[in-house]
Parts: sequence; structure tokens; C-alpha cells
Amino acid sequence: MLSYFIRRILYLVPILIGIALITFLLFRVVGGDPVDRVAGRYATEEQKEELRVQLGFDRPLWPQPGRLLAGDLDGFARNQLFGHFASTFTFRFGRSEQYRRSISEMIRSGAGPSLSLTVPAFIIGLFLQITIAMLCAFRRNSRFDRTVVVLSVLGISVPYLALIIFGQAYLAGRWGLFPIYGYPERFGFSVVRYVALPVLLGVAAGLGAGVRFYRTVILDETRADYVRTARAKGVGEGGVMFGHVLKNALIPIITQVVVVIPFLFLGSLLLERFFSIPGLGFMLVDAVAGADWPVINALTFVGAVIYLGALLVTDLLYALVDPRVTLK
Amino acid sequence: MKLWLILGVVALVLLGLFLSVPFFYRPAGVGEEGVMVRRAALGAKIRGLDPHDIGDTTSAAVGGQIFETLYTYAYLERPYRLLPQLAEDFPEISEDGLTYTIPIRRGVYFADDPAFPGGEGRELTADDFILAWKRMADLNNRSTNYSSIFAGYVEGLDEFRAYTAEVDRVDYDLPVAGLRAPDPHTLEIRLVRPHNFLLYWLAHLPTAPVAREALEKYGEDLVNHPVGTGPFRLVGNYRSNRFSMVRNENFRRELYPDRAAEELAERGLLEDAGREIPFIDRIEWTVIEEAQPLWLAFLAGKIDSSGIPKDNFDQVITTDRELSPAMKARGIRLIKAEDPSIFYYGFNMEDPVVGENRPLRQAMSLAFDRETYIETFLNGRGMVPTGPIPPMIPGFREEKGNPYTRYDLDRARGLLEEAEEIAGGPIPVLRLAMPGTDTTARQMGEYFRIQMSRLGLEIEVDYMTWPKFQDAAKTRSHQIFSLGWLADYPDAQNFLLLFYGPHRSPGPNSSNYSNPEFDALYEEAIALADPEERIPLYHRMEDILIEDCPWIFTTYRVIYALYHDRLQNYYPHDFLYGTMKFQRVRSDLPDSL
Amino acid sequence: MTAPEKSRNYWLSAGREVLRRPRAAVSLAVILFYLAVALWGFTGWKTPDWETENFEMAYRPPSRAHPFGTDIYGRDVLAKTVYGTRVAVSVALTASVLALVIGLVLGLLAGYFGGWIDDLITWLFSTLQSIPYILLILAFAFVLQDRTFTLFGAEFRIRGINAVSLALGLTGWVGLCRLIRGEAIKHREREYVLAARALGSSPGRLIVRQILPNVVHLAVITFSLGFVSYIHAEVILSFLGLGVKHVPSWGVMIDDAKLELFRGVWWQLAAATAAIFFISLTLHIFGDAVRDGLDPRLRGERR
Repeated sequence: MLSYFIRRILYLVPILIGIALITFLLFRVVGGDPVDRVAGRYATEEQKEELRVQLGFDRPLWPQPGRLLAGDLDGFARNQLFGHFASTFTFRFGRSEQYRRSISEMIRSGAGPSLSLTVPAFIIGLFLQITIAMLCAFRRNSRFDRTVVVLSVLGISVPYLALIIFGQAYLAGRWGLFPIYGYPERFGFSVVRYVALPVLLGVAAGLGAGVRFYRTVILDETRADYVRTARAKGVGEGGVMFGHVLKNALIPIITQVVVVIPFLFLGSLLLERFFSIPGLGFMLVDAVAGADWPVINALTFVGAVIYLGALLVTDLLYALVDPRVTLK
Repeated sequence: MKLWLILGVVALVLLGLFLSVPFFYRPAGVGEEGVMVRRAALGAKIRGLDPHDIGDTTSAAVGGQIFETLYTYAYLERPYRLLPQLAEDFPEISEDGLTYTIPIRRGVYFADDPAFPGGEGRELTADDFILAWKRMADLNNRSTNYSSIFAGYVEGLDEFRAYTAEVDRVDYDLPVAGLRAPDPHTLEIRLVRPHNFLLYWLAHLPTAPVAREALEKYGEDLVNHPVGTGPFRLVGNYRSNRFSMVRNENFRRELYPDRAAEELAERGLLEDAGREIPFIDRIEWTVIEEAQPLWLAFLAGKIDSSGIPKDNFDQVITTDRELSPAMKARGIRLIKAEDPSIFYYGFNMEDPVVGENRPLRQAMSLAFDRETYIETFLNGRGMVPTGPIPPMIPGFREEKGNPYTRYDLDRARGLLEEAEEIAGGPIPVLRLAMPGTDTTARQMGEYFRIQMSRLGLEIEVDYMTWPKFQDAAKTRSHQIFSLGWLADYPDAQNFLLLFYGPHRSPGPNSSNYSNPEFDALYEEAIALADPEERIPLYHRMEDILIEDCPWIFTTYRVIYALYHDRLQNYYPHDFLYGTMKFQRVRSDLPDSL
Repeated sequence: MTAPEKSRNYWLSAGREVLRRPRAAVSLAVILFYLAVALWGFTGWKTPDWETENFEMAYRPPSRAHPFGTDIYGRDVLAKTVYGTRVAVSVALTASVLALVIGLVLGLLAGYFGGWIDDLITWLFSTLQSIPYILLILAFAFVLQDRTFTLFGAEFRIRGINAVSLALGLTGWVGLCRLIRGEAIKHREREYVLAARALGSSPGRLIVRQILPNVVHLAVITFSLGFVSYIHAEVILSFLGLGVKHVPSWGVMIDDAKLELFRGVWWQLAAATAAIFFISLTLHIFGDAVRDGLDPRLRGERR
């Protein structure tokens, strides 16, 4: 078991390097020199050069093999790619171009609010999706099942944006059932009040896709031999479903849970923006609007790390549920 | 199986929690028992709260509750009258007008802050002003305010400014001849020539004092840690979307004014005369950049006052421009006021394409349909302007008219031909910078683009957040930009200084306009002590600007301010930002919903 | 020796299977209708005028002259919706084709050649897959907006629509690549392939003639299911300001609409939402039907 975990973690290393490489390519190579942006259109060449040196952009973009061969280790190491790797992996992302605040600090303060939105949405959503999917499989082709199928397809066709706009305007605005927007300054019980409507909307938006997906997974499972055996043995449908099928379906469900996680990122983006929740999604939308390159760069990497973390956790859970996989 | 049960329990608990919210949630009342809370909203992020760099209304709205200045205006008196605030009295001015001796009020304390020994704010001294103004002069701080306030006036300060460019670390103890403190409560300013607007500037927020201890402790981060003498102090980080202010325990004893203009007295604004202020215990600020949630929040009573977004205007204001009965029934009140402001699209005169092509600028000004703009985006709350001098400012000429602020597409096309000759070919794609990324900003940008495309010009619109926009202005990166200017004091010079050559970026002259003829008139005007005498010169300057068109003058604004009647003592003041200390929020009235 | 590629009968029977269900047939009809509208928009022949503003006519409700009403500048919302169709379809199409080409090529190369090529390509798509999709497309769309490239001496400027298509295409190939790689690996060990190699076929010919036909069905399935996600992605990007500029798009219409709701102007939101809703719905139904029709596992199963 331990060796499996270690292998899994080691596997992440080339991926992380790859991600850092991608952010470098995107934001430095393709994106170009930030000096023009920061210094302004009419700065003199001299001022730009000075700024370049200050920010470290006078170094070559890529490591130069020539220097390595010449034995100039220091010169070889002084390039933007390595610099980017160094700052990325130590999570020292510099300062926001718009607000001059330390980006790491911004991320730290934004993580809490985002989590208070995504974690409940995830838990509630997952539970509802699996339960409904189970019920559908339990009563295959019944009116319930068919209605759910239709509703889920309708659900995934409605644009998320429209749902949020309507939800906020009517449930909060017109009818005053929930706060319209905002987030308390200090983390406490009042968070519930502000997070309620966005979470409910997020759950509603993801329900269609999730139910559809898990229904397929569970139905696939019900075709397995052991189910036929159990039925033949006379075990009641309920026992079959909840006793055997669910247990075994859990395996593919867990592995596929990661499919749902990206929705949490999207939800986080739109919900935070509309409801003024100062989380990472809001930070990203704000950075895009304000063309704040260092922030977008940082968030891309951090987002990927979070996602990989979630993948790792699911893999470990999967291993716990089905130890056979560790022998692979 | 067990996993699912655990998941289920947690999920159902959470779900129950969230679904119960509608039953317990009531839109915000006045908060906890006995605590008076004022709820305000900001439409943009604050750029920074370092006094010398406060240059926009958003930062001023917040900073005005924290910082104070030597002089201030009487809240309720019209016409506007200056009063001593941090100064004990009006300055003693020498015969030649070159020396100002200002007594500093005693018993004024900075708010408590970790920067002070023991965390206790200390008493204000004259040195705190000297430090603040040296910081404004410091080139490394890139203050937009220095050139219009002190440059060329204070003995030794310009030299100090030059010195700051040469050294790595600026020594703020270096004496400046024109700023002295013979004793802790006397401030002496020595000028090299008479400054006819100094008193107005000393009532302007950027001249607020700065405590040395705060500077030493926070350094560059001072912009995030404001320490002032005002009635409120900041708690928490204002960089997030919500932050609060609480009473400054060290605030001196100050009383609500007992004099008011007649029409204000009639509104009941003198009921609290003579009482000790502030009444409010806490201010809750929320930043909400989109119009829709802000409006919803106001209707629900979550914020006390608001403007009216264009999309909600017709539901709220009747055709005779009064508040609808439905709104009145909900306890909402309206104040209409003319605003000494001008909104415009500025050209960066240093840009070769627009700066050196007058017919092009004039053509674009003629191609912009202001009346439709005012109808569509302002619901008629604006007037087609003459020039930079707005109504309510002495020197405003109503009948004068401006040939280029009319809508005349044919004439515009003719001028465009001239422009193309100058340019030696068709005009390239032009760039407009808009200070906002929300939907309304986009619609306004689109409108400009549509108008210019009817003329035959192609426009690219860049949408920027307010901080980014200001930064770009400082570095002269705009080509065409949308902006407005609200008067700092009741003199037209405050508008005309925006065109004075030496005030170019990073000064307030964002269009970097530079015209020797104009500059000469400007210098002549500001040397005159009598405001009446200045006016004819102002008119000549305005005439030059009308012809030269460094701005597309768009509109003068009219304010429609709404507030819940639980908010009392509320009245807009054109120059004063720190008015929350006069306001009161009543808790015995029901919330409007 | 002939390779057991999917026979004509396979495609024909698959097609018949798909169209047998009335749902699938209706969906296909609707999809074709959208495509036709998009194409019509493209040709520009007698297309409704979305551009002319008429400030007198701002915010008119639906009427005979303007079936979907007018917007803030008095422009016809129906015309904007039609143009938006063209935008959505062209973005989704371009992105799909781009993603298809990249995914197909890389998947085949990785699957067939194995070794370091496979490792490299696997590393590439694993890395891309590790970045949450919305973050990925945001990052790409952000970086690519308004960029000027010099390629072989010529200058290319990427703006608006092209930036979005490029961003979506460059990031969307991963799923398909994985699938194709899997299939390619399975097939390369088959006897007919080994035989062909023994006979001296060049890898290129082998891939194209033996393996490619066996993976095409995957490409078709992925294409149809992916199309819909590109449409939604474009809407979100446009809403956030990273999408098309200056021309109508459903995302921008929704952005306008959220303010308009307050003055009781519901028609623009309704039009855009309906347009998105119906194309999504039909694409999902049709995509499901295609998958059911082509996927050998599910053939013969009765649901």
C-alpha cells in the first residue's frame, strides 16, 4: 500500500513540472514582456531597461546549453525559465499588478471563502446525485426514472448563467428569501446565510449532469453477473441495489467523482462573481477584467495543484476501497 | 455502504441548514442593539488610502472619514464657507502674502494604531503636516497632486522634490525652508509667490497629515494601513469586498453645526444642532461593481443610500421627475442636486495621431450625439456642456454655447477630410480606454464606437479596472480615455488647472495638453487675488479649449440621490467627503422591503 | 489481405439505428436547422440586420416588426440571435475541427509508436488535463486575445472569434487523444497489422489505412458531444469579456440582459437562453443516439 502511495505521489512530479512549463509558455513566452504593460506606452527605453533588470526580465528566456558546456553554471542557471520554476514551486508569486498586494497572501485569504462554497456544494450535490441515480436504477424504466432522465437532459441544456441571474433576481431580490450578495468579514456562523443561495444554485446546476452520469455508471454495474446471481438467489431488489450494487458501484463512482470537480471550479467562478464572495474564483474573474497577469498565472498553477490534490485523494480512497488496484 | 450513509448525513445536515435560511433571514436592520451602523456601498475598488495619492472620488469617500485637513467647509451652509478644522483659526497672512502662520488645534489625536508606542495614538503636531507634504513632493511616490497644489509655490519644496530623484533613500528630516514648525502647534508656510488657492487646497483631502510612526512602521505598505485623526478608523483590510470602520476613540469633542442655509434647515437638517458627533458607531462598506446587485441591496435596505442605475430609473422616477409614490411609501427619499462636474472623453495630446490633428478631434466631438447619450445612460440627468467650467462655478457661461458640442455629422465628415489630409491618409484604428469592466461600461464603450463608426472611424475599446486605468493615465498610455472631474472647490481654476502644461502626467493634466498661450493666461489669472478679476481670463482660456478640443466634452451631471429615511442628516456636499460624522441612522423606523 | 475495417454495413446500420428513434431524428432536424441558419448568416445574403441602431426604438417588446424585441440601441434582437448562432456555430466548429485534428494525430502517433513518443504525448495531455478546464480555457483565451504573431515573415493578428476558437481547440483535444491512443494500442497488436508490417508497409500507410478507420467512430462520438461544450464555453467566455468583440454573441446578450431584467426587459435573455437551450438539448439527444448507435458495447442491448 505504501509503495503505491509513494508511486502515485512521484507520478505527480513530472506533471507539476509540465504545468509550470505551460504557465511559463503561456504567460511569458506567448504573453510577452510585462515591462511594456507596467512601464506604460511612453516610458523611455532607459526606464524600461531599468524596470527589466529590476523585475528580472533581462535574463535569457531559456537555459543556454552553451553556458553549461563552457562550465558557467551560474550563467546557465540565470534564466527566466528557472526563475519561473523557482518562484512557482515556492509559491512566491510576486505582487498583483492591480493592487500591489502579495499574491500569496491574496490566495491564502481567498481560499477560505471558496471552500465554504465548493465543499458544501460538492457534498450535497454528490449525495443527491447518487441517491437519485440509485433510485432510478432501482426503479428502472419506471415513470420516475424516465422523468428524471428527461429532467436531467433539460437541466444540462439550461445555461448556468441564466440560472444564476434568475435565481439571484427572484429568490433574493424580489422575494427576499436570501441575502442578495456578500460575505461576512470574519469566518463564523453567519457564513451560512450568505453561502446558502449560491450553494443551492450550484447544486441545482450540477444535478442534471451528475444524475445522468451516475445513473449510467450504476446501470452498468447492475448488468454485472453477480447481480443476476443475487436476483436469482431471490434477494429482494432493495437488497440487491443497496447492498451489493452500491458497494461495488462505489468504486467507479469514486474514480469518476473527479469528473465533477471541474464543475466546482466553474461554479466557484460565476457564483463568486455574482454573489460577491471574495474567493479564488472572484479573484480570477477580477484578474481577467483587470488584465492582472501575475495573478492569472498564479491561480492557474494553484488551481491545477488543488485539482491534482483532489485526484490524489480520490485515488487513495479508491485504493482503500479496492486494494487490488495497488498491485498494478 | 457506510460511506454513503456518512455522506448522506453530512449532506442532509448542510442542506437543512441552507434551506432554513429563508425562514430566519431578514434583510439587515440596524444591527445589534444599541450599535448604530451606517451601510454604504462603493462602485469601484479603492486605489489606495495614502493621503497624498487620493485623487478619485471612491478613495476620497472612504478616506474622508479617516483623514482630516487643516480647513474644511461648513456642512450645511450655502454658499460654501471655509472653517478651521485641524487648524485652530484662519492663518495669519503676512503683508506680502508670502508667509502663512497657522495655529494647530490642540487636543487632536491620531487613532490608536500598533504603529504608536503602546498602541495609543498621540497628539497631532505641525510636523505631521510637513512630513505629509514632503511625501507628496517625493518623486518616488508619483503623487498626482503635487504639481497642482504646491509646485512652484513653497520655498524649498521643489528643490526637495529634485533631491528625492537623486538618492536611494529619502531623508524626510531634511529641512525645507518653506515648511517650518517653530513649535509643535504652529505651522509656518513660506511661499515664493502669492498662492491664491492655498486655503482651498488645505481643505482638500490629499493635504491631510501623516504620522511619522506610521510611516516608519509600514513604509511602502502605508497605503494599506491608513492612520488618521478623523472620526472613524479602519478595521480590517479594505482590499477585500467588505470592510468596516469604527469610531475613533481618540476623536476630539466636536459638535453638530448650528447654522444652515434656509432650504436645508427646512429639511430638518438642524435638529441635531449642538449635539456631540459622530453619532454612528460603525460604518460597513461593501464594494459592488455591478449596478444590479447594488440596486437590489439598496431596495432591500442593505445599504442606506444609492444613486439610481439607468435600468431602474423609470420604475423609480415619474415623468415629472419626482420620486414615485411606491418608493415614497417604502420610506425612500430623493435629493436632486446639480453637480459641479464635467464628464468627457480626453485625448492624449502627446499621441501623434490625435494630438497633432485638431480637425480630427473636432470631428469626433461633432459626431458624438450627446442628447441620446444623456437619455440612454443618464435618463436625462445631464446637460450638454459648454466647456470645462460647469454650472454653479463662478464663470459658467450658460448662453455661450460650444459649436463642437452640437451633433452635426455632416460638418464632422467635412472636418474628417481635413484631418485625413493632415494625417496623410485614412485615420488608423483608435483606442478608447474605459475605466470599468462592468456591463454598463461596456455599453457606453459600445455607444462611443457606434457613434464614431457612423463618422467612418474605427475604435478599439479597452476596458480596465479603475486602479489599472489610473496607472495607465499616470504613464500616459492612453490614446483616448473616458473620465470626469468633480470640483474640489468653488473656483473655475480647479478645472482649468487640468490643462496647464506643467501639470502633465503624472499630474492631473491627464491629456498632457500644453499650449503656451493658454499657460500664459493661466499664470496671469492665478496671480490675481480677486476672484472676480480672474473670470474674464477664465473665459478666454475656455475659448481656447473650445476651439482646440483636447476633450470631447460630454455632459454636466445632475445628481439624483436616494436614501432610506432612517438615514438622517444626509445631504450631498460638493466638496466635503467626510460627512458621515454628521449622519445618524434611526433604528426605530421599520426597514423598507 | 484486407483489414476488417468497419464495413459499409456498419455505418449504414448504425445510421439507421440512430434515426429510428423519433427523438434523434427530430434533434437532427433541429441541429441541421441551426447549421443552416449559421450558414445563412455566413453568406450574408439578405440576413437580418443586427447592426443598424435606432435609438428611438430602444427596448421595444416583441412585436410584428421585431419578433424578439429590441435592445438598448434599438437593434433587432432576432437579428442578433441569428448572428449569435453564426458565432456559436463557427466557434464550436473551428474548435471541434482543431481539437479533432490534434487529438487524432497525437493519439494515433502515441498509440502506434509507443516508446518515447507515447511518453511525451501522454505527459502532455496528462499535464493539460490536470488544469481544471474552465481555468485552462480562461488562461488560453486571456493570453491569446489580441495577439500579433510573426510566422515565416508574415504577421498574424488573433482577435475575438479566432482567439476563442483557438483557445478552445488547443485545449479540447485531450479527451479524444486519450481514447484514440487506447484504441490504437489495442489495434497495433492485431494480426493484420503485424502482418502488414512484416510485409514492409510504412508506418504512415499503416496508420492511415489500418488503424484510422477503426477509431473514426470514436472521433464522431467525441465530436458531437464536444460541440455542445464548446458552445457553452464560448457563452461563458463572452460573458466574462474574453470572447468575441463588437459583434453579437449569446454570451454578450446574456450579459446585457442581466441589467435589463430590472426594467422588465426580458426578451433578450429569453432569446439567448432559448437559443442555447435548444441547441444544447438537441445536441445531447443526438449525441447520445450516435453513441448508442456506434458503440459496439451497447449495440444489441435493450434499455
